[in-house]
Amino acid sequence: MRRRAGQRGHAMIELAVSAGVMVACLAGTVQFGYTFYIYNELVTAVGNGGRYAAMRTYRAAVPSDIEKGKAAIRNMVVYGDSHPAPNASPQVANLKPEQVEVDWVMDDSGTQPAAVNVTIADYTVDAAFGLFRFTGRPAVEYPFVGRFAPAESEP
Amino acid sequence: MSVAMVLMLAVMGLAFDFGRIYIARNEAQVFTDAAAMAAASKLDGTDAGLVLARQAVAKLPMRWNLGTKSFTGVEVEFSPDKQSWARVTAPDNQVEITFLRAVGGPAVFTVPAHSVAAAKPVRLIE
Repeated sequence: MRRRAGQRGHAMIELAVSAGVMVACLAGTVQFGYTFYIYNELVTAVGNGGRYAAMRTYRAAVPSDIEKGKAAIRNMVVYGDSHPAPNASPQVANLKPEQVEVDWVMDDSGTQPAAVNVTIADYTVDAAFGLFRFTGRPAVEYPFVGRFAPAESEP
Repeated sequence: MSVAMVLMLAVMGLAFDFGRIYIARNEAQVFTDAAAMAAASKLDGTDAGLVLARQAVAKLPMRWNLGTKSFTGVEVEFSPDKQSWARVTAPDNQVEITFLRAVGGPAVFTVPAHSVAAAKPVRLIE
């Protein structure tokens, strides 16, 4: 069946319009799909770091021991290892230890940790067609159930 | 065109709705893990310990749905001797479906999670 010249023009316009819509839909799918994938990885990472923090030994012979402990927890979130190799790659793309916040929640006496908060302080997902920034999430709080050794130093 | 649109909505639904469902599932699992540990850490074989355990779970500030919603309907159960283990269930996390609903999917999808923790957990030597 032969088409007239006008019908061919209509098809071209229809294709142009529908292609624009489809490309926009596909771009959005890629963008949100990747962002959700990364967020899910961040949830897993802070969950693992929180559990590690909850069960490790709390040492505080000098103030730097607390910072060393926090650094080990940050490394666990980022690399899945409290003492990673120098060339270790992060579990989540472009995540750095300084983007992870670790806060001890002390008990009523103020001397012993009751819980630990692990939070992604500031992370931006570069999702090809746009940026998504997460500040203060995902976050977890685990009760401290590890060994309390305030007189010991971090190795 | 309409067939292509339905297919497009299905593909978008797979990426968008399933992405949110998987995140909600993971957030709920991490919450119940922490909540079960918090509850189990308060157990001492008494009724007062059970009260403290429930309070510890209620105090947890964790949220779901990309960190925007509080957990509701959380159930806390304990071992019969009130000192061995605690089980926490977050049964009521309903993700609203955006795209898959348009191609015959459900309006909401529930992603429950539960965890059990021992009162005397293994501690890391590190």
